[in-house]
Amino acid sequence: MEAVQNLLMGFSVALTPMNLLMAFVGSILGTLIGVLPGIGPAAGSAMLIPLTFSMDPTGAIIMLTALFYGTQYGGTITSVLLNVPGEAASVVTCLDGYQMAKQGRAGVALSVAAVGSFIGGTFATICLVFAAGPLSRWALEFGPVEFFSLLLLGISLLMGLAGKSMIKALMMGVFGLALAMVGTDPTKGVPRFTFGVMELLDGIGFIPIIMGLFGLAELLENAEKSLAQTVLAKMSSLIPTRQDVRDSAGAIVRGSLIGTALGLIPGITNSASSFLAYIAERKSSKHPERFGTGMIQGVAGPETANNAHANGALIPLFTLGIPASPTIAVIMGAFLMHGLIPGPFLFKEHPALAWGVIASFCIGNVMLLILNLPLIGMWVKVLKIPYGILCAVIMGFLILGSYSVSNSAFDILVMTIFGVIGYLLRKLEFPLAPVVLTLILGPMMERSLKQSLEISQGSFLIFLKSPLAVVFLVLTALVLLLPSLKFFRRSKEAISGEEPV
Amino acid sequence: MVKKRYSVGAIAIVCAMFGFMVASPAWTADFPEKGKTVTLIIPQEAGGAPDVGGRLLASGLEKELGVPVVVVNKPGASTQIGLSQLVKSKPDGYTFAAVTFPTSLSYLDPKRKAGYDRKNFQPLGMHVLDANVIAVKYDSPYKSIKDLVAAAKKAPKTVTASVGVRNDDHFTALQFEKAAGIQFAHVTFPGGMAPALVQVVAGKIDVFCGNVGDMRSVVKNNQVRILGVLDDERSQFFPDAPTMEEQGYKIYMSSSRGYVLPAGTPKPVVDVLANAIKKVLSSDDHKKRIADMTLALRYMSPEQFGKHWEDFEAQIIELSKLIKD
Repeated sequence: MEAVQNLLMGFSVALTPMNLLMAFVGSILGTLIGVLPGIGPAAGSAMLIPLTFSMDPTGAIIMLTALFYGTQYGGTITSVLLNVPGEAASVVTCLDGYQMAKQGRAGVALSVAAVGSFIGGTFATICLVFAAGPLSRWALEFGPVEFFSLLLLGISLLMGLAGKSMIKALMMGVFGLALAMVGTDPTKGVPRFTFGVMELLDGIGFIPIIMGLFGLAELLENAEKSLAQTVLAKMSSLIPTRQDVRDSAGAIVRGSLIGTALGLIPGITNSASSFLAYIAERKSSKHPERFGTGMIQGVAGPETANNAHANGALIPLFTLGIPASPTIAVIMGAFLMHGLIPGPFLFKEHPALAWGVIASFCIGNVMLLILNLPLIGMWVKVLKIPYGILCAVIMGFLILGSYSVSNSAFDILVMTIFGVIGYLLRKLEFPLAPVVLTLILGPMMERSLKQSLEISQGSFLIFLKSPLAVVFLVLTALVLLLPSLKFFRRSKEAISGEEPV
Repeated sequence: MVKKRYSVGAIAIVCAMFGFMVASPAWTADFPEKGKTVTLIIPQEAGGAPDVGGRLLASGLEKELGVPVVVVNKPGASTQIGLSQLVKSKPDGYTFAAVTFPTSLSYLDPKRKAGYDRKNFQPLGMHVLDANVIAVKYDSPYKSIKDLVAAAKKAPKTVTASVGVRNDDHFTALQFEKAAGIQFAHVTFPGGMAPALVQVVAGKIDVFCGNVGDMRSVVKNNQVRILGVLDDERSQFFPDAPTMEEQGYKIYMSSSRGYVLPAGTPKPVVDVLANAIKKVLSSDDHKKRIADMTLALRYMSPEQFGKHWEDFEAQIIELSKLIKD
């Protein structure tokens, strides 16, 4: 009850005209930054922080946080329409979202993504209001040991991403891991596979790689056809059918849970969250083989998860005063620069501000929904542009996007090279999802493995000493062994003359 | 004779004046020219403390210099990407960069092939000195540095300490270990202190090696306790936290941030920029902003900053010998 009272007090703060305006400005800027490829939430809020100095702290924080979670809405749009991920967290949306656009269902994909995003963000906010304490204690259970075991489970699900050929999926998984090796050794600081190129010391940029693999490769493939007449999708329905709603409801629920839970764990990026949500959808679907051809669950799950993640990641900041990720550290910086110290004391010293900001999360999410739904009709019109013109615009987008990640022309080169690689891989029918998965999880896994072994001074037994880690390891074993068990049972049944299921 | 001497003197004066005019082209007299733009390269990502500090300076400089000052983030390779670009740029004062020590001393590691060293830069002034701290979880059994040393002596390489890769946190741990004759189990957190701090608060890592600037919210919220500050004076933000020096260990480490120009920038231009920076940093508004970020403002003139750089470099060369590959 106390929480409800506090929240109502928060709404009284957040609903003042000035703070509403701030939430609105933050939401719009967030959506725009999300649409612009390359510029992420951290860079976006960083550029705004100095502008907020003369503002009232409550309004400033409301605006900056709205911008932060607002980017998760905007990132979807370019993924669905152009196969260009606007944000790292929206990569996975390309897989099915773009296929839906090709079938003339871009509007449906965007509407479902917007609604899912709204539900995910709101769910995580409700968790922050009612269960922040226990949830953040749970998050603190995750040290390097548990983290590694969880990621191992994640990477073992890679096989679930395999399309027609398991071998090809595994090859692509290893390709992604090999790419993740480039850079500086995370514990010794020794350059690896950098060939004396300074730009490679931090590894190959993730955004340029995926922009090449998805966006540019798509352009190259389309260039085989006659461009002048091609129109991506002639008609586009905006309103999801009853079947779409039924299909995506479960995905949204799962996405909310996955995103919030993983958002709490320090160190997990929201791109990992959205990817694991995608895998969960595939695993729980009756038709896993249809994923990648425009399944609505493949859009609803990940898009819900990345918003739930964004709001969930703010929970440790409010309950413990610790930033769970570099992006959240930027938000924390915004608090500090306004003379506010995030954490439990904030609720005691500035209750109006703390609850006001939390209430603004709900308001901001509603605003983003209202803002995004009518815009969908406008976005979808982009597809009516003749492809000959559109492809030039996309090319400009790709170049701008890869450059703006770290203002580096080298990244444009990376994007181009991976565009060619992506084109060849498509021609040879290699699936792209496993590369992205291992690229996201690989570096985190390596780091946490090394950290675990540094804690134990080299003993692998440390993984058996943590109950949580053991649970993940057992699950990993099951994931790896169950398919082969099924295989054996099936061959037995086949021998006894029964129809294989 | 007297007359002759006079004329020699006159010629000398004329020559000197002429020489001065040749040596200093006319444009330095009015640096920065109206209509031109000064670029500040921040070799780190947007949003971190060095970036925000730099942006604060840039907005102040605009008023001071009367021309736009544009901040450009060129992150990557431990500031090497941005600094390489600075070294290659024209030494005319229109491009300067932020440096963070010891990160920006990465050129000392030959494996990283930086292609520049200290001589390629002209110091402009120091901004912030963020001293390092040794901290533990609030309810840790180690109540003081003494407890910590005793425990680490009893069982070497079991007490875990968070470090980075060849950064100030790493050198903090190395120095402390050497001074106290102990050995921690180093747990490496590349890329920022946030994840390490979480693990210390969670009780998964025993000792946090970080900076005063990371401590405001965790100390306030009773999550972490500072055992020692690696500075010659107590921090203005945590006057209760003793220095390491007070506890018998003469060790000092910090993340020091300042600004540099490419070497060869004409002296008058350096002076104009250095004076403008000094003015901005000594304004009350700037002081308050920097203090709100829990950062200790420590202005140094170009000469003092150059000396600080030299000393820092010598210290890091010495400490790098302790790193075992």
